[in-house]
Amino acid sequence: MSRLSSTQWIMIAVLVAVAIAIPFLFDPRGYGIRILCLALLFAAMAQSWNIVAGLANQISLGHAAFFGIGAYTSTLLLIHFGLTPWLGMIAAAVLGGLAAFLISLPTMRLRGHYFALATLAFGEVMRVIGNSWGGLTGGPVGISVPFSQPSLMALQFKDMRAYYALMLGAVVVVTAIFVVIKRSRLGYRLRAIKENEDAAEVIGVDTTRTKILASVISGMLTASLGTLYAQFQFFFDPDTVFGIASVSIRMAMIAIVGGIGTAAGPILGAFFVIPLEELANQVFSAKAAGLSQLVFGVLLILVILIEPKGFMAIGPRLKRLFARGDR
Amino acid sequence: MIISTTPLLDIKGLNAGYGGVRVLHDVSLSVGQGEFVTVIGANTAGKSTLLRTISGLVEAQGSIRFDGQELVGRPSHLVPALGIAHVPEGRHVFPEMTVEENVMLGAYAVRSASDLATRRDRILTMFPRLRERLHQAAGTLSGGEQQMVAIGRALMLEPKLLLLDEPSHGLAPKIVDELHETFLAVSRTGTAILLIEQNTTLALSVASRGYVLEAGRIVLSGTSAELTGNDAVRSAYLGL
Repeated sequence: MSRLSSTQWIMIAVLVAVAIAIPFLFDPRGYGIRILCLALLFAAMAQSWNIVAGLANQISLGHAAFFGIGAYTSTLLLIHFGLTPWLGMIAAAVLGGLAAFLISLPTMRLRGHYFALATLAFGEVMRVIGNSWGGLTGGPVGISVPFSQPSLMALQFKDMRAYYALMLGAVVVVTAIFVVIKRSRLGYRLRAIKENEDAAEVIGVDTTRTKILASVISGMLTASLGTLYAQFQFFFDPDTVFGIASVSIRMAMIAIVGGIGTAAGPILGAFFVIPLEELANQVFSAKAAGLSQLVFGVLLILVILIEPKGFMAIGPRLKRLFARGDR
Repeated sequence: MIISTTPLLDIKGLNAGYGGVRVLHDVSLSVGQGEFVTVIGANTAGKSTLLRTISGLVEAQGSIRFDGQELVGRPSHLVPALGIAHVPEGRHVFPEMTVEENVMLGAYAVRSASDLATRRDRILTMFPRLRERLHQAAGTLSGGEQQMVAIGRALMLEPKLLLLDEPSHGLAPKIVDELHETFLAVSRTGTAILLIEQNTTLALSVASRGYVLEAGRIVLSGTSAELTGNDAVRSAYLGL
């Protein structure tokens, strides 16, 4: 296991300082800090996705299933049993992990596009169930998180800065888990699978078990973040939390734009994609229907065309460029 | 060669395939302790499937006895620890890992072994070119060097049986000759080898015994000298 270099420590310290200072620059009830919170939440979500997709190269397009399970689990437990969302989050993680395990059994032997399509279908199945099982989920009408006296225990806050701190904490925790896994024996096994699954198998790596383990961890974290989303938005419906575009593909896209398989990638990606999306909405949505999505889409395509490995690859590329100039 | 004891690998009545498609039909074959055996045949005869079946990568019915253990039904990741190392077709290295990491990962199944450094040094002595490129990403090496990495990785296991799937495919003749010299050297240390090779002349020149696989069935077997002298083999595989 390699240790962080002193430059890396300094960078982390600067980031932490900036992260603590930022909320004080915004109106605590304003729109800007909401976008920040969403960006942080999506950074954490993309990081969870990164554990199975970035480390094992199993590109899941069905992570909305775990996210939605998490949002509904804690919310229903709160509505029906008055259970604090903190315990609801644990229940969400258990169910999310279980769902990840069950979906892994038939899909983990699939590779590449086949795996992506199978998981895509799984997310959609959950959305359809959510819409049609009205008795449990409230159906397409959606479901509201009951308001209570704002407190840490109730996981509800008046001050947006508290949500900011919560989401920031989520990013730190999930990123730490990602880094620990990446540097562990499990990370090495995942890396072997990613680079050459056949070779990993013939040297004795239990590839199926390894992939399932990563998938379960990723599913648990994603479901927990679904609980945070529910507590942050107070209202959601199946199309939002189980959505392909709104959740599954967005998680994948953020990680890919930022740099798949890297720890900083999903964070960079989220702080690019989420504000960009909002900006495109503000500037173009009044002009013509769908124009904002078009502009947003074109910008994302440009990013991927210019640097397919994401923002994290731009640094090394610049370094090479300058090194070449020296000669 | 007379094999007095039970063979190291003893395959009897093996059927195997993918999904509903059966590739191997009633295959029986054996490899003695330290023996060098080759399986020759056309491209689609099922040679790779045979090796993949031994490694547990393909579903099978029948019997594969190895060193007193039954392999049929055993998950593939438990096979290396028994002493079977497989060099898959097509130079399967871990491209972004260094040569050293690739080689060391070969001992994954026996990672508690105390002599890993000795094993590594032995392999680097066998392939001096790998020692020069120890910290280079394996994916940046030439085809021949990548094959050396894959073979070195397999030898880290100090296997009782080495499965080689088309090791010379797509490589320059000079490298091919070097590799086969290496196989003979490995064979002399007492490691049994089951070699699959498109180049029949070469295969029969290094192995002591061979089988001919046609459309998933063993149609002929014998010593390399017998097979080289066989008219059917000469016309079909040796182009004579």
